[in-house]
Amino acid sequence: MRYLMMQMATEHAPDERLFAEMGRFIEEMAASGLLLATGGLDAAGTRITSEGDEITVTDGPFTEAKEVVAGFALIEVRSKEEAVELGRRFRRIVGDGESRIHQVFGP
Amino acid sequence: MTDVRRTIDAVWKLESAALIGGLTRLVRDVGLAEELAQDALVTALEQWPSSGVPDNPAAWLMTTAKRRGIDHMRRAERLTRRHEQLARELDQPRDVEQRDVEHHDVQHDDVLRLMFLSSHPVLPTEQRVALTLRVVGGLTAAEIARAFLVTEQRIAQRIAAAKQALSGVPIELPEGASLAERLSSVLEVVYLIFNEGYSATAGDDLMRLDLTLEALRLGRLLAELAPDEAEVHGLVALMEIQASRSAARTGPSGEPVQLHEQNRGRWDRLLIRRGFTALLRARDIGGPPGPYVLQAAIAVCHAQARTAEDTDWRQISTLYDALVRLRPTPVVRLNRAVAVGFAQGPEAGLALADELSTDRTLLDYHLLPGVRGDLLAKLGRPAEARVEFARAAALTRNAAERDFLLRRADELGTAAPVVTLGQAATDFLARDDLDAATKRSYAQTLRRLCSALGDRRPLESLTADEIAAVFEVAWGDAAAKTWNRHRSTVRSFGAWAALPDLPDLPHLAAMVERRVESSVRTPGLTAAQLERLWEFEVPVRERTLWRLLHESAAGVRVVLSLNVEDLDLDDRRARVAGRWVTWRSGTARLLPVLLAGRGRGPLFLADRRPGPARPRAAADLCPDTGRGRLSYERAEYLFKRATRALDPAGQGHTLRQLWSGRR
Repeated sequence: MRYLMMQMATEHAPDERLFAEMGRFIEEMAASGLLLATGGLDAAGTRITSEGDEITVTDGPFTEAKEVVAGFALIEVRSKEEAVELGRRFRRIVGDGESRIHQVFGP
Repeated sequence: MTDVRRTIDAVWKLESAALIGGLTRLVRDVGLAEELAQDALVTALEQWPSSGVPDNPAAWLMTTAKRRGIDHMRRAERLTRRHEQLARELDQPRDVEQRDVEHHDVQHDDVLRLMFLSSHPVLPTEQRVALTLRVVGGLTAAEIARAFLVTEQRIAQRIAAAKQALSGVPIELPEGASLAERLSSVLEVVYLIFNEGYSATAGDDLMRLDLTLEALRLGRLLAELAPDEAEVHGLVALMEIQASRSAARTGPSGEPVQLHEQNRGRWDRLLIRRGFTALLRARDIGGPPGPYVLQAAIAVCHAQARTAEDTDWRQISTLYDALVRLRPTPVVRLNRAVAVGFAQGPEAGLALADELSTDRTLLDYHLLPGVRGDLLAKLGRPAEARVEFARAAALTRNAAERDFLLRRADELGTAAPVVTLGQAATDFLARDDLDAATKRSYAQTLRRLCSALGDRRPLESLTADEIAAVFEVAWGDAAAKTWNRHRSTVRSFGAWAALPDLPDLPHLAAMVERRVESSVRTPGLTAAQLERLWEFEVPVRERTLWRLLHESAAGVRVVLSLNVEDLDLDDRRARVAGRWVTWRSGTARLLPVLLAGRGRGPLFLADRRPGPARPRAAADLCPDTGRGRLSYERAEYLFKRATRALDPAGQGHTLRQLWSGRR
């Protein structure tokens, strides 16, 4: 089953050590065949909302930094617990903050 | 509690390969390594529910397993040096968080070595598959059993046997030429697992996705561990692209949808892209393309076509030509026939498919009639196509596929009300003037005829040529007696079904000639061969059986039907089926050993108790051990295998040859 792991943005900027550890973590997930795709997201983003006939396009950045998705990883695992375990490892590397895990249905 | 258990299970599945791989390097024995790792897992199951899951569960499991290893080796003194090394390793606990690059590589090597070991060519295929899924995939015996639709006990036995066979096998990574050979063995295991999931050979589901994913995971893992091997990336590309079609391969009610009819919108673009990338990596490495790279290239051709009509069949059939040169297996040749059927028209495809109809290995392969049916339908020969589809349906073990094939047969219109081969065969066997044995013998011949020619085949369309071809393929190298038995069945069936009206029945009689049954068909073993045979290191059961057959000159089936209570040890004889079987000193010496105090039940027992699915009559069970009677087939098999060394042709002998030489 597939899970989308999303990391919410944090205020502190990542340092070199974090980059190295993240790199290794990603490499390991790829090596074990779990990681299907990964990427970082531009913090600004663009919001598109519709209300009635009206569609509004708003360019970021937005005020609530905590709700901004900063990066994602699409993983293929055998159980939710495996996804959670990977999430735990990820959190241990990046420190305080929040991730979300959603199961992906389809394709 | 359950949550912790599930977490432990997840950690185990993620870590078992690295764990067992690392332990194997230290203790030099994959069986012991796996046991140590399992012990650590049990400890985790005991402790974690109360103490909580540790911060670094992988490191915890490794440390625990190493401690167990030291305890174990302290007990087994001969391994003291290993125990010292293990203790040293334990003194410098390396946290997973602090893994330096060097350690990272060590871990990769550990896992790669483990994969090479678990798919070692010394193991039979089934054991390689089970052991790989267990130690590299981290699956339990129950999970593997479920995926392969066999009992958990059987999987446990396979794993135990594999571990035992591997003790003493060097664990070093192979080098040079042997690397290529060993690698192909690893690839074979991974692709086997994939295929078992992808085209489930039996059962009601067309696919068992979990196995497919497991194989993909193993393949991707291997591609990181051995990145310079083109074939590894070829295999990964092939599996990614095949897996990309999973959702499109079945229709709403689970029926198979053929490639060119699939909804391409349901193909998984992500996996396709990963497949393309993997194939590019394989091409970058260069060298002549191997079988997996070629198959991946074919898969890529399909994936690149936006619609089925866009498919570049010319390119695909060229790739199949190359593949047939590398691997001229009947299945590859059949696939080429399909490709050629598209590239050059159904006529050309049918010609290639027909070449395969004399291939014995495809005798019961449902895709051959399936492909023929498809090509015949395209050629506007619906009646023949219908017969082929029905034949394919009768041969497949997969329920979804059978329904699909029967539907295709029905779509070609209903046959005019004529007598079919299948119907005639049923009626023929339903006559009440046949005794049971004759009926059984007749049924065997007719079943083969029906499966080879199609049971929906109109009786009157059968030709002598076709029947003769079936004879050649199915029984070409059978003994004359067997051949003649089948021949006379067909003749009496022909006479009964009024086939003599067919103009070419005499022609059939001429083509399928009666074979001369020589009185000394197979020469007996020579005295020198027998001398060597008695020296063989075989279990007492075989030793006794062979001696008894030799000394008594009784039939094999008669001897196997002996019961302990039939024996008259003092007079060296036994009464069975109204006849006396007698023996001499060689057998007399062995019998008490074989009996080992048993007073009742079959004399020659099978190796184990019969499974629940195969109940035996009480008379064929040993009342003391519950084991069944040794079967004729098993006895012959064991003898054939044991006597390969005696046979100049390397094929082994039959039990009859134990006595026929003395006559």
